[in-house]
Amino acid sequence: MSNNKIDILNVVESKLGSKVQIQPGHLSTGSIIANNGLHREVLKAMIEADEKTGIIAITGLDLGEKLGVYYHFRTSNALVTIKAEVPKANPTIQTIVDIHPGAAFHELEVTDLLGVIFEGNRPEGHFVLSEYWPQGVYPLRKDVKANEIKLSPPQETNKPAEDPRQVKIIIGPQHPALLEPEKFSVTVDGETVTKVEPRIGYVHRGIEKATESRTYLQDVYLVERICGICNSIHAAAFVEAVEKIIKVDIPPRAKYLRVIALELNRLHSHLLTLGHAGLEIGYETLFQYFWRDREPIMDLIELTSGNRVYSSLMAVGGVRRDIKNEDIPKIKSVLKTLRGQLPFYRQIYTSEPTLRLRMKDVGVLERKDALELSVVGPVARGSGVDIDVRKDEPYEAYAEIPFKEIVYKDGDTWARMNVRMDEVEESINIIEYVVDHLPSGPIKLNLPRSVPAGEAVNRVEAPRGELFYYVKANGTDKPDRVKVRTPTFANLPSFLKTAIGESIADVPANFVSLDPCFSCTDR
Amino acid sequence: MTDTKTWARIKSPWVLHFNSGACNGCDIEIVALLTPKYDVERFGVKLEPSPRHADVLLVTGCVTQQCAERMKRIYDQMPQPKFVVAIGACACSGGVFEGNYNVLGGVDKVIPVTAYIPGCPPRPEAILDGVVKLLNALNPPKQKKPSKQTEVPKQEIKTIIEEAKPIVKQ
Repeated sequence: MSNNKIDILNVVESKLGSKVQIQPGHLSTGSIIANNGLHREVLKAMIEADEKTGIIAITGLDLGEKLGVYYHFRTSNALVTIKAEVPKANPTIQTIVDIHPGAAFHELEVTDLLGVIFEGNRPEGHFVLSEYWPQGVYPLRKDVKANEIKLSPPQETNKPAEDPRQVKIIIGPQHPALLEPEKFSVTVDGETVTKVEPRIGYVHRGIEKATESRTYLQDVYLVERICGICNSIHAAAFVEAVEKIIKVDIPPRAKYLRVIALELNRLHSHLLTLGHAGLEIGYETLFQYFWRDREPIMDLIELTSGNRVYSSLMAVGGVRRDIKNEDIPKIKSVLKTLRGQLPFYRQIYTSEPTLRLRMKDVGVLERKDALELSVVGPVARGSGVDIDVRKDEPYEAYAEIPFKEIVYKDGDTWARMNVRMDEVEESINIIEYVVDHLPSGPIKLNLPRSVPAGEAVNRVEAPRGELFYYVKANGTDKPDRVKVRTPTFANLPSFLKTAIGESIADVPANFVSLDPCFSCTDR
Repeated sequence: MTDTKTWARIKSPWVLHFNSGACNGCDIEIVALLTPKYDVERFGVKLEPSPRHADVLLVTGCVTQQCAERMKRIYDQMPQPKFVVAIGACACSGGVFEGNYNVLGGVDKVIPVTAYIPGCPPRPEAILDGVVKLLNALNPPKQKKPSKQTEVPKQEIKTIIEEAKPIVKQ
């Protein structure tokens, strides 16, 4: 594409050069210090120059006297951080939702957890925390201790009268269609959905705060437990960020072994979702088929790491366990069997009439909206936005491995599921390539337990899309701040947009096409 | 009548799954139990969406502040006699999340727990074993009588499994 050549820092410098301070090379591509509301000007300049500019995350930090608000943005070829600071006594900053609607949830989360008020985007009640949470206490501030929090019952508020024609259907927190507790209030007029109000935070465990009181070694296992499905990917993203702070390059064999773990995760996650989608549209046979074929992949994870679900393979400086040469034929034979099943599944997903009726033209997300809402992963790629971190900013050994980036232009549920269907085959290709080209050598570097002061951002492509980590080290063996932005959190706004105007019966199919995972969303 | 009830309960326990703040690891293993490789439905275990129809509540995950009230309500809605199985290290004790600001701890902080299945996550076999142990505890076998009709020779089991393997072609 032509816009791959844009130098976004130059664009910002030519427009606002004297007002903001640009640090090229700091935090990936570069960071821009923009205080006093200038962050809005920088963002406007970036969106004007590159249509693919999208928000990755907003990190809130407690910097002592001040609170830091770091906006992380991706463009077509860069990752830029805009740093703003607000005084702790009066923590207000202007919202960016009017410029970039995708930032809404990110801002609400920072408000709830750190107490930064975004003017123009005030939350009603809590966003992530419990209703019992005391007012004015923000868990991510350094002076808040976990064991000193006193909960109090919520105050009764007068709710506005509701239109009697509009019926509210509550889905969750415990609901057969949702494996996890989360609440969605769907307002319907007849059978048409008019409004969707999510209430997240049921699985909020405060992992970001917990990382600060544990060592890096313990944190690898803690962040792995953010999500049971894409666990290796969380661990890999964290250890890579720490390796970026230490400025160390891991051995090539470790990189290849990591790719095997990451792709096995992607395989089992995609098979799980493809089956789950069948369950949600009442096609239970498909669900059972996919889950039957997923079990051999779980066996492969056990073979390569020693455990079925939590592989615990990643370590700062490499991986913990090597693959035996005699295991490689077993890996290949399992993948070959799975590849043999794919034509059958592809035929179901492309031409089965019942499945097409339930999925085609359901929950259409236009390319323009996908860019505005900053969706990631298969949701973005199903709407014709070609973002894949493995291609855009190759990590581990992905630069050396040939594979295709799957993009569908339809933007509907069917397209999103077919992106996953095709990615299953690509993952098989990648693992087969990797086991054939495994370099020899050590698998782990011995590194000191303390990490030098510094900060790093890292992003990897999880099964559900771009997973982002920000790690700040203070020179000790414990991190100062770890921020996790999961792909499911970024994709949630797209459901709120696409569900409106559609039939209530299409809500489950549309919803499952985002591959929801609330333990990721809430952390 | 009591005997009949116990017999029905043990032969076909209806389970309700509630995630009180888990990471999905245990949840996925519970779903794996229902799928062809483990297939607990052949033992009469049925996943039930409504608390009012359930005999056993399977809880996964540490209890978060927001879920505690909801879990208590679901437990209250279940008819007597009811059993709670805490699945996974987090449900047993809080696990790695013990002490976090939003986490109350294990399931037994909120509702009484009948059986604990440790592991992170426990394998599907372990979950099955836990449920079976719980059911056996309800009705200890009086006298073991090996029934000739239900016993399948080992050789035959092997062929059944082998036959069941390839189903899909092209």
